[in-house]
Amino acid sequence: MDDYKFLFKVVLVGNAGVGKTCLVRRFTQGLFPPGQGATIGVDFMIKTVDVDNEKVKLQIWDTAGQERFRSITQSYYRSAHALILVYDISCQPTFDCLPDWLREIEEYASSKVLRVLVGNKIDREDREIPTHVGEEFAERHNMYFLETSAKEAENVEKLFMQIAEDLMKVSRFLCDN
Amino acid sequence: MSLDKSKFESMQRDIQNELEKLKLEEETLFQDLGNMLNQRLFLDSKVKGLAKLLPTLKVVKHEAQDLVSTINDISESSEKISGKIRSLDAARSHVNECQQRVSDLIDLEICSQGVQTAILDSDYEKGAAHVHRFLSIDQSLLHRTATDMENLSGMQKSVRTLQDAASQLQAIVEHKFNEAVNCEDLVSIERFFKIFPLLGMHEEGIKALCTYLRTKVAATAEKNLKSAITTPLSDKRHSVIYADTLTLLFEGLARVVDTHQPLIETYYGPGRLLCAINILQKECDIQMKRVLTEWTRTRQINKKIQIITDLSRMSSSSSFSKLEKIDPKDLDILIGEITLMHFRTELYFRFIQRKVVSDLEVGVQDPDEKTKVLKSLENLIKNSDLTHSKHELLLHYLKLEQYFMEESVAKAVSMDSVEPSQQTSSMVDDTFFIVKKCIRRSISTGSLDGICAIINNACRVLENDFCDVLRARLRQGYPSGYLDLTQAYNVLQTSIQQGRLQASDTEQTRTAFLVALNNADSSTEYVDALCDSVLKEIEQALPAMNNNERGKLESCLSGLSSVTTNLKEIIEYGIQQLRVSAIKPRINPWVDNFTSINHQLTEDELSAYEAGESFVQTLIMNLETLLSLFKDVLTTANYDAFIAVLTTEVTQRLEKVIMKSSFNRLGGLVLDKEVRSLAGYITATTSWSVRDKFARLTQIATVLNLEQVAEFYDYWGDHDGALTWRLTPSEVRTIMALRSDFKVEEIKRLKL
Repeated sequence: MDDYKFLFKVVLVGNAGVGKTCLVRRFTQGLFPPGQGATIGVDFMIKTVDVDNEKVKLQIWDTAGQERFRSITQSYYRSAHALILVYDISCQPTFDCLPDWLREIEEYASSKVLRVLVGNKIDREDREIPTHVGEEFAERHNMYFLETSAKEAENVEKLFMQIAEDLMKVSRFLCDN
Repeated sequence: MSLDKSKFESMQRDIQNELEKLKLEEETLFQDLGNMLNQRLFLDSKVKGLAKLLPTLKVVKHEAQDLVSTINDISESSEKISGKIRSLDAARSHVNECQQRVSDLIDLEICSQGVQTAILDSDYEKGAAHVHRFLSIDQSLLHRTATDMENLSGMQKSVRTLQDAASQLQAIVEHKFNEAVNCEDLVSIERFFKIFPLLGMHEEGIKALCTYLRTKVAATAEKNLKSAITTPLSDKRHSVIYADTLTLLFEGLARVVDTHQPLIETYYGPGRLLCAINILQKECDIQMKRVLTEWTRTRQINKKIQIITDLSRMSSSSSFSKLEKIDPKDLDILIGEITLMHFRTELYFRFIQRKVVSDLEVGVQDPDEKTKVLKSLENLIKNSDLTHSKHELLLHYLKLEQYFMEESVAKAVSMDSVEPSQQTSSMVDDTFFIVKKCIRRSISTGSLDGICAIINNACRVLENDFCDVLRARLRQGYPSGYLDLTQAYNVLQTSIQQGRLQASDTEQTRTAFLVALNNADSSTEYVDALCDSVLKEIEQALPAMNNNERGKLESCLSGLSSVTTNLKEIIEYGIQQLRVSAIKPRINPWVDNFTSINHQLTEDELSAYEAGESFVQTLIMNLETLLSLFKDVLTTANYDAFIAVLTTEVTQRLEKVIMKSSFNRLGGLVLDKEVRSLAGYITATTSWSVRDKFARLTQIATVLNLEQVAEFYDYWGDHDGALTWRLTPSEVRTIMALRSDFKVEEIKRLKL
């Protein structure tokens, strides 16, 4: 049955086509579905993981990147424990939009939310944003940083496990106090 | 000698034993021999029987050999027969083919002769029937026949005639169909539509018909839109006229599909509906866009959205807004219209889906083909402008609804008022009315994403805007004010004398505090009821939710329960405020009176004390006065919480002052009585048990009420009469020491 000790909501945001859905699919189902259509509204997936022998249930909200779904997706920021902001390392415009996304996060999300910056598609040859540029941006805005490839399953597991561990630490800390 | 004798004796014993053994063996052998002799007769008869059977076996063997050879013969001959049958079969299929070819040839001849006449007679049905027959002849077979035949030219001529006729007919039918369309000659349109598939022009036929139908749909839509634009303001449908126009468009299209589907199915075969809908969808997209453009213009959607966006930006950057706010009431009807438009679109898609799927069920059997068609239906819907427009409608809806909810709740809060004799104020009813209305309206869009977004927004508004107000009011605190009623009464008297009877500021702050506390409590009930009713309504509106969608919805609804957590914290905060400002300052002096009373009583003093007003009577009277101030103004749950805090305070304080006093036997007796009557009084005021809160105090009284130190063992230890003690052994000793008549050594000697 539903047997877990911690429940965390993780919301993925970022421009259309950066690979949010693929990251979620890779993590939750171990798949890389090619020719993934644009997400409509919000998709919802659940995966339970073990951290320190505790069951942690991750509720992953995969949002549509397209502007016209913004009203729907924004409404999920508030209750999120972690926000993953994704860009495509082979597409400069997706990186250029990050400040806009941060503004939205500031406006709608809780101030305590764990924020993670992810540069996806490192399997691609045509990289446009060097790793250190992403790193610097993340550091400047007080975010975790990770580069991933949903296609090659690189760092995907690590990304979500890291988030689960951190959120658990925070919630243990709050419980103890 | 004796040694020899004993040796001899043991030898004798051995021999005796051996003899016994041999005797036994002999007996067994006799028995066996007897048995064998008995069986001899039986074995003899068996041997005789077998000897008799021997000749019969020989016969059987012969017969079996005969049988094998017979079977071999039969199998050989059947092999021969089946070979013959096979060649017969081949011959028959040749004959069949031959007959087919001959009949094809005859038909070919008839068709080629008939087709021209039919064309000349304008009997296109007949001509097309000929061509249809020609097309149904296996063309490769025809070629083979041609090479096998001597009369080659005749046949080739026929083929050529028919091919010519086919293309001629195709041209004519197309032309005639267009002509009919131009003349709006419905009978001819239908007539020629039926001829297309006979000429192998299925797709052309459907395309021609749907193109014609598009023009009809477009014309009707044009007319409807015009009449929508010119609808007078006074018309009672004016506020939803664009939703009506959209509905007319969808209904019109649905009617077109419904009336033509049987025609297509009968003459073109099942499985072709998607092709037709594909073409019609293009017109639907165009017309929907026109309606939306007109709607956006007339209803000034962009302007309204812009103002709302600006306002939200203003408030977040905290510069004072000079922008004229839109009254949420003015948006009410517009939001209703959008939900209607969205829902109609949703319904139209469901209609198309249903139609295509049922057409598919009849027409396509191959599962792979089916998935392919379903996929293309999904793409048709997903990529249509209509879907795009639908998303835009939802976007507008969400922005407006969000604004409506926020502003209306803000209004409800600012117009908050308390009716005298009411425990809660208007903002609770109003806020939950608004929230429920918004969520219900979102349900009527038919979009789960829309519903979830509005529920999320509702959580935000309730947690931030609504709870914050309650919290802020409680933070103002509960003014302690007058210490008792007499004082309050005196002030009231002077107020009346001076002619100002309005409640003082303190009184107002108090009322505001208590009302806020009650509001929080009744809100928890509202939230629960809201959750239940919303879930039920959604299940009714979207009966086909899958597990994933249900999970999504439930997760959003669980956001509402975090509102409850918030409210509970607020209540707890408020009750603590009351503890500090209303309970503690009053109770402490009342309880502290205990120290000024003599607890070392003689018999005479005891009767005098009991005759007069005892400590506990005064305390209960005072508590009664205090509780009466709150009983009717607090909700039941809050009043219970209030009493719980009060009980804790009284018992803790009383414990403290007891520890400062000193008792004799009679003093202990009185205390025990008083504690019991206090516990009895408080139990009577509330619905829950106070036993637990009084546990320590009751035990202290028990200790002080002992006849002698050793009697304590009656209550302590592992036996049946023992109590579950809340006091530690050292506490027990300290309390015993309060009894002036108990000897210190005795107390020390107690084994605890």
